[in-house]
Amino acid sequence: MGRYLARRLLESVITFILVTIVVFLGIRALPGDPARALAGEESDPATLAQIRTKFGLDQPIWLQYIKYVNNALHGDLGRSSRTGLDVSTSIRHALPVTLQLAVFAIAIAALIGVLAGVVAAVRRRTAAEWAANGVALLGLSVPSFWFGLMGILLFAVAYPLLPASGFVSVFDDPVQSFRHLLMPAIVLGSGLAAIIMRQTRSAMIEAMGTDYVRTARAKGLGGGQVVFGHALRNSLIVVTTIAGLQLGGLISGAVITEQIFVLPGFGKLTIDAVFTRDYPMIQGVTLVTATAYIGINLLVDLLYSVIDPRVRVGGAAL
Amino acid sequence: MPRSSTATRRVAAALAIGLSLSLIISGCSSIKSNPPQADNNAQDNRPVQNGGTLRVALAGEPDALDPTLGRTLVGRTVFTSICEKLYDIDTKLNIVPQLASALPSFSSDGKTVTIKLRTGIKFADGTAMDAAAVKASLDRHMTLAGSARKSELSSVASVAVTDPSTVTLTLKSAFTPLTAQLADRAGMIMSPTALTAEGDKFGTNPVCVGPFKFSLRVAQDRIEVVKDPNYYNASKVHLDKVIYKIIADSTTRMNNLQSGDVDVYDTVSTNDIDALKGNSKLALLVSDSLGYQGITINVGNVNGVGKPAGTLAAPYAGAMATDARVRQAFEESIDRATLNKVVFKGLYQPACGPISPSSPFSSDAAQACPKYDPNAAKALLQSAGVAMPYKVSMVIGNTPDASRLGQAIQSMVKDGGFDLQLVPTEFAASLDLTDAGKYQMFQIGWSGRVDPDGNTANFLTSAGSQNNAGYSNSTMDKLLNDARAAGDVNTRKDLYGQAITQLHKDAPLIYLYRGQNFTGVAKNIVGVQVFPDGLIRVGTAGIAVA
Repeated sequence: MGRYLARRLLESVITFILVTIVVFLGIRALPGDPARALAGEESDPATLAQIRTKFGLDQPIWLQYIKYVNNALHGDLGRSSRTGLDVSTSIRHALPVTLQLAVFAIAIAALIGVLAGVVAAVRRRTAAEWAANGVALLGLSVPSFWFGLMGILLFAVAYPLLPASGFVSVFDDPVQSFRHLLMPAIVLGSGLAAIIMRQTRSAMIEAMGTDYVRTARAKGLGGGQVVFGHALRNSLIVVTTIAGLQLGGLISGAVITEQIFVLPGFGKLTIDAVFTRDYPMIQGVTLVTATAYIGINLLVDLLYSVIDPRVRVGGAAL
Repeated sequence: MPRSSTATRRVAAALAIGLSLSLIISGCSSIKSNPPQADNNAQDNRPVQNGGTLRVALAGEPDALDPTLGRTLVGRTVFTSICEKLYDIDTKLNIVPQLASALPSFSSDGKTVTIKLRTGIKFADGTAMDAAAVKASLDRHMTLAGSARKSELSSVASVAVTDPSTVTLTLKSAFTPLTAQLADRAGMIMSPTALTAEGDKFGTNPVCVGPFKFSLRVAQDRIEVVKDPNYYNASKVHLDKVIYKIIADSTTRMNNLQSGDVDVYDTVSTNDIDALKGNSKLALLVSDSLGYQGITINVGNVNGVGKPAGTLAAPYAGAMATDARVRQAFEESIDRATLNKVVFKGLYQPACGPISPSSPFSSDAAQACPKYDPNAAKALLQSAGVAMPYKVSMVIGNTPDASRLGQAIQSMVKDGGFDLQLVPTEFAASLDLTDAGKYQMFQIGWSGRVDPDGNTANFLTSAGSQNNAGYSNSTMDKLLNDARAAGDVNTRKDLYGQAITQLHKDAPLIYLYRGQNFTGVAKNIVGVQVFPDGLIRVGTAGIAVA
């Protein structure tokens, strides 16, 4: 186990180094001089030179990289070249926004998707199934930016029931947080709801035809008990796996949702940093993202090895 | 709400129609100088309640809130609330004292400038705003690494404290536009105590003199400022707090204004004007703009901006760079009035030069406009000996507005004998190309400055720091340098008129249109002001008593 753990840790470190190099070089390969982006319209060669010196952009790339990694290892992700704000602080403010949005979106997607999937499976070849399928198709097809704008026009402008933008943390004011996040979460979760609905439907159809469901019915259990107590319970294993796999996609999708609803989350921070060629911020957010992905993958691999000893044995044999 | 009344708009419309007619009849004309239009609801007589929060939707994220380092227009809007300057402008673009007690006095040779300060004024941290603070601020502007004010104050040799309420500036050479520079960020005075404490992190917690003081900033989200009890005019400040929310997308800003989630909508899109006018709960503020949009033509930018002009090589070389007749032909192929009508619903103003008709330095010569005449354009191309259609490329933004503008120009110049290739490019990337001289033409604008020097010298003199065209003409250099040094308004006005006449002959820049500052405001808000500098001033704004 110790050898397996060491090997996975080493692989993670190598992956991490490669990611930082790719990101570091990748953003520098983008057309657009960060000094020029920072100088705005009032640029002159002397000012540009000063800016490059101030942010170390005039140094060799390898030296910039080493300094960056060294600072990052000491917990210093630097300051935004555009706003002068601390990158770590900005990320610390942005991450909870995206996480709360993602969790809320998954909850809504699961609620809608599972219910619609159950209805579609239990009421086959009825109007209810057609309606559920139609909703799923819409959820997959409608672009989130359009869905979001329509939602704002309807529920914030025409009927001012919900705020059009902004964020309140659930820990500060749960009610206001719910109001602010409801529309963005529905928009973000709509695609996932459709996927969950289809998975639930197929899993439920399969489950409803199994022997244990027939046995449950033969024992005289009611329809609700059979569906929710037996068939759905087993179907949820597949659904939960799918929902988990979609989490990464959900966080990517949050980029657009955060722009529409002006949520100060991780996606908005990243996009705005790219447009302004804010190298320290881009490096900071990608570093945090890469660390999270590598960390989660490592954790999953280690869990696999705990659950299934063949994994670590196979690893040792290699 | 007493703002741009219907009658005023009708007069403006009549003027616009008259101008269009005169263009058609004469075939050549100038854009008339009108009094500057600065729309605001400051004269609203409705009683205002004390307290409350104003939410302003800014069109972009300000950069560092440090007057020495700041470079963005949206940042300047936030500064109007927290950092006052030695001088300011009024609605008619006159420079007026703000933290200074009077306009500066210049010595007879123009090299010594005496600035008298108001007394008894305190910074937000309670310390005194005096001559020592002014010296500390100006010295920092001139010396801090990465200072964006260094070039603006490059004429200043030294700053001396004469007495606690007087500062004396010694200049390297006479430089009249200095007063205008001190009416912008270069004239913002910072608390020396805070400067010592924060150093180059001052922008994370700025302390100046203003109706509000900095409270909080969340990246990409908002900036909050709260009423400053130390402010010398605190009794006239009604609001407790102003929140500047960063909402880059104009549709989202509009939705937020309509839903009541914000009170002020910065930089209204022309697509939203009708909806704003048709909404009884909202008002539209309109003010002239000092800036312009135009086309820069690469006539000699060989090795990059700031390097001596030279002869272009392929693929950027051609008659467009070497023969002024080809550039004149291109200009005469553009129908500015139609461009404005087709692309911007007629909401902007055609522009033929860098000086706004609102400027006190405007003149008939400054507003002279080459006529639209595609046949004359073809004749010019023929005389220049170039084959038609003459193929030329233009780097242009990749936004929907830029695409519409580019396509309209492309269609127009076809009649004048040009085959225009559009090169849509992301903004930061386009600056890379054009700074390096890797382009033939570039569609870009300038936000405008109060003093015409800020709209001309950097772009049109041989050594100009933003002379992307690589344009070099000793006559132009002399005219603009003389205008810089001249102290008399009429003399300067005459020199700028001559410079623009020369500009139309050489045509390294073709000016297209001048935008308007459109600002949306909820009707229950009183006292929001927008001057031609485009900044939203909310110092004395408030919420009307219901």
